[in-house]
Amino acid sequence: MTVSNADKPTLPERLGTIVKTPVGVVMGLIDAPMRALQRLTGLSGMALFFLAPNMLIFGIFVLLPLGINVVYSVTGGSALFLPERTYVGGDQYARLFDCGNYLDALTCQEDAFWTAVGNTFWFVVLQVTFMILAALVTALILNRNLAARSFWRAVFFFPVLLSPVVVGLIWRWILQRQGLLNFILYPFGMEPYNWLTDRDWSFMAAVGVSLWAHMGFYTLILLAGLQAIPKDLYEAAAMDGTRPGRVFWRITLPLLAPNLIVVIVLALIRAVQVFDEVYILTGGGPGTSTLFLTQYIYETGFVSQPRNPGLAAAASILMGLVLVVLTLLQLGLGKRGENKGKRR
Amino acid sequence: MGQIKLSNVKKSFGAIDVLHGIDLDIRDGELVVFVGPSGCGKSTLLRAIAGLEKITSGDIEIDGRNVNSVTAADRGLAMVFQSYALYPHMSVRQNLAFGLENARMPKAEIDKRIMEAARMLEIEPYLKRRPGQLSGGQRQRVAIGRAIVRSPVGFLLDEPLSNLDAELRVSTRAELAALHARLKATMIYVTHDQVEAMTLADRIVVLRSGRIEQVGTPLELYNTPGNRFVAGFIGAPHMNFLQAAVENARPGHAVLSLPDGSRLEVDAGRQVLQQGAALTLGVRPQHLTLGKGNRSLRATVRMIEALGSETVLHTELGGQKLLVVLPGQHRFSPGSEIDLSLDAAPLHFFDEKGLRLETSV
Repeated sequence: MTVSNADKPTLPERLGTIVKTPVGVVMGLIDAPMRALQRLTGLSGMALFFLAPNMLIFGIFVLLPLGINVVYSVTGGSALFLPERTYVGGDQYARLFDCGNYLDALTCQEDAFWTAVGNTFWFVVLQVTFMILAALVTALILNRNLAARSFWRAVFFFPVLLSPVVVGLIWRWILQRQGLLNFILYPFGMEPYNWLTDRDWSFMAAVGVSLWAHMGFYTLILLAGLQAIPKDLYEAAAMDGTRPGRVFWRITLPLLAPNLIVVIVLALIRAVQVFDEVYILTGGGPGTSTLFLTQYIYETGFVSQPRNPGLAAAASILMGLVLVVLTLLQLGLGKRGENKGKRR
Repeated sequence: MGQIKLSNVKKSFGAIDVLHGIDLDIRDGELVVFVGPSGCGKSTLLRAIAGLEKITSGDIEIDGRNVNSVTAADRGLAMVFQSYALYPHMSVRQNLAFGLENARMPKAEIDKRIMEAARMLEIEPYLKRRPGQLSGGQRQRVAIGRAIVRSPVGFLLDEPLSNLDAELRVSTRAELAALHARLKATMIYVTHDQVEAMTLADRIVVLRSGRIEQVGTPLELYNTPGNRFVAGFIGAPHMNFLQAAVENARPGHAVLSLPDGSRLEVDAGRQVLQQGAALTLGVRPQHLTLGKGNRSLRATVRMIEALGSETVLHTELGGQKLLVVLPGQHRFSPGSEIDLSLDAAPLHFFDEKGLRLETSV
């Protein structure tokens, strides 16, 4: 489209607009350079211009570290500066996979890694299963006409707002020997017990605390899904004489499936990355009973003596691959859900 | 059988009273239309009959059985929702079968009923499709089919045509009338569209603010509206109302003074109009004719709507609006004055409370 000169605002007209508001003043000031830039780069060039700051930040803080991490994983030694590191090829990966029996961590050269993998696997299975069930039940309850419904919704969402460190500290205070739980149980004749130093209890505590901290987020997604199911469908089901169980299995669950898939995959991704609140709660112990993959990477790269950033980098890349697979799964299922939605 | 009797049915939501004691007898096989403006309680009343809303007091009987505490499923009624309420993840066949499966009906019987309904509604080709793959009209048929397969004692239809475009609405309206004639089932139909009410109903129930204003056949309501609200609601365009004062009244005859200062001699039938009383004169836009007559008005044209088959004139008479519908095509210019004859027009009189004054003019 061409604009004739007659349609363009004259300079006095422009000045009149500029001085009207402070925003107008700013807009007026950037107007001329922007016009010049657009003439120079074209419309698509302007899009790149506006994207550039974000791309720059993404490049510096995500892409560059990712590349450096790959370099670390193929180099050896404890030095942090890349020029001081020696190229070892795939040795770090070979070390991680050097195992007599993958189901027995003790037969592996890097037994802590496989212990962490096993712990993370069971943590993911238990936490995600309980999380989905608990979030679903909570969402179903919160979707009913409860008294003070908004209050209850806020109560369940509140832990999501807490920092993981605070979550870990709160629960350590509750579960330690001198903690609140023992204080409550003591009048019932129960001797004080240190829940966090028992191998089984500490693992279940890690699962439970993580569930408590994150459930509100998934409940919220499921609640939104439940509220998007038209009320008419339930009334039609009532007219059809549908029993409550059948309403859930035949109407609620299929219509909630897209949200449920999102929640499952997000919960999986997050569970694989478990670290902060459990690290504060148990520090990975007792022994290695709550040592998870992220903590193994952190400790291998930064804490253990001598530290081994290359091995940590290799482990983190393997974990990253798992996350990529899960993300692709989410995108694929999400797309399938969208297509199904369009067909509806 | 499908007799439905409502006795003093009341419904309140908290402190808000929505239905104020509804009494109504619906005969077996009758198509009754609940009509009224938005918020009048027509859908609430339908849902109360369906069992989807618990009534606050009163009684609902279906075929002589009190169903106040009977669940929606056990009332033997089927409902067609405004949104159709089809299960989006199920095929048309599954939608039709769902209610029958709940009742643990044998599969062969379910298949037979589905095929019968599908043939009747011409939805056989779509049985494997999902609702999202159907047009609005097809979905509407499936929703009706879902009601039909249950062989209910009565059908409850909540504004079933409101989501269809104007053309489809007209054809589906005719199909619904044919379906009613074929099934001979009791149907309660809720709409705010008085054209739907007039064309479909055996009897119309006009509701306003949770109360029944009038019950009658479409023509009863059109010809002898019981009050000013019904007179204004039934008929399109709505009836004209002119404020008038009675001058020189005597039995069977009166002279009315109109807002523009003109006088109008009317027969008052058996009604004795009181000298000096204020009343509202009602006349339908279609009953006014052009030209002078024994009883005529002089109005100023304000706007003209030429619809081809008819011309709608928006006129003004002494500061009051007066609509005129003339058959055929006419040319007027805004501001021009025209004579309108009331000679052939049935006149309606309403007292200050809006109630009909019985006259036979």
